[in-house]
Amino acid sequence: MKQYTHYLLLTLCSITLSSIHARAQGPPIYTDTPILLGLEGSGVRTFGKFVNKDKANIYVQPFIFPYNITPKVLVGVLVPFINKNPENLSSRFGLGDMAVFVKRTIFQKDGKAKTFRVVGKIKQSFPTGNTTEIPALGSDSYQTLLGVVTGYITTKIGLYSELAYNVTSNGLSDNFVYNFAVGYPLLRQQYPAKQVNLYLELNGNYLLDPDSNILFISPGIQWIAGRRVLIESGLQLPLVEQVADTQKTNYILTLGARVLLF
Amino acid sequence: MNTLKVNAYKFLILILFSLVFYIPLIAQQENQSKTYIQIRVDGLSCPFCAYGLEKKLKKIDGVANIHIALEEGVVEMNVPTKKKPSEDDINKVVTDAGFTPREIKFSETPFKADNDNP
Repeated sequence: MKQYTHYLLLTLCSITLSSIHARAQGPPIYTDTPILLGLEGSGVRTFGKFVNKDKANIYVQPFIFPYNITPKVLVGVLVPFINKNPENLSSRFGLGDMAVFVKRTIFQKDGKAKTFRVVGKIKQSFPTGNTTEIPALGSDSYQTLLGVVTGYITTKIGLYSELAYNVTSNGLSDNFVYNFAVGYPLLRQQYPAKQVNLYLELNGNYLLDPDSNILFISPGIQWIAGRRVLIESGLQLPLVEQVADTQKTNYILTLGARVLLF
Repeated sequence: MNTLKVNAYKFLILILFSLVFYIPLIAQQENQSKTYIQIRVDGLSCPFCAYGLEKKLKKIDGVANIHIALEEGVVEMNVPTKKKPSEDDINKVVTDAGFTPREIKFSETPFKADNDNP
């Protein structure tokens, strides 16, 4: 698997560097975007996430509903459904930990066909997932994530970053989330869009207690099918995984869609 | 005297004919008179995000033929002349959509790169 990862990394880096003059973009698949939906803009995002581990298969289907209450403030709700299939145990399906979030544009510098934006983000998760039976569907912990999402998006390249600190309760380790993404389209930039975008992302999660790091490389492809519909898929492969062998992830496959409602 | 009467009737008929046929035509022409608007918008770098701008622009009364050229950062559209929005109205719509409005031009004729389909 690691050999494939290196080939994939090399290929995607080559494509990224050779396409530096290509056109950009859409929102990244795993890294958050600093571009909000505009006043009273709303949408729904959902994706199926298939997590393959040594001792279990997990399927997560979150539904995310963002809504812009002012031109610079977006609020949203995240409702995840989880199906866990551990080895030697019966599988379980149900609601995971729900969350609400707020994003606010704190800096915006626009130019001709380019923008640089910084967004502050707060996400509050609630322990709504059942933990009384094994396997647990929730974390049994209130979690507050404070983060900053940055993006420099021009017609030539799109660079995104997301840095966030997640404060947990109930004995769980706090963690630091770090995501970076670069994206470019394969087709000519136009609106309404019939566009295919490629992404290369690094998605990291550093746990503070005990010190451990998880880092995925995440190539992805995105098809903007029209004004309001976007379909995307990505594969996350572990580059660094400092966790117990039984907890190790082989890969995460994601297939999803975003629809702008109004 | 009779000839004068006949001529007066003819004149009246002509006036009525004009009123019946020409006034609606003039009114129709007035209705069809368009104002073309070109807006330079900064920050347009994402096709999926441009939907928010188009959606907001569509709320302007009478607006039609919205064309967004992402790479040029230019939006063109037209409205019936009698419903021409003010620059402040347009600025607010663009700002609400999350972008930065720059130069706004009004014209009675289509702009050079206008994609207006009559």
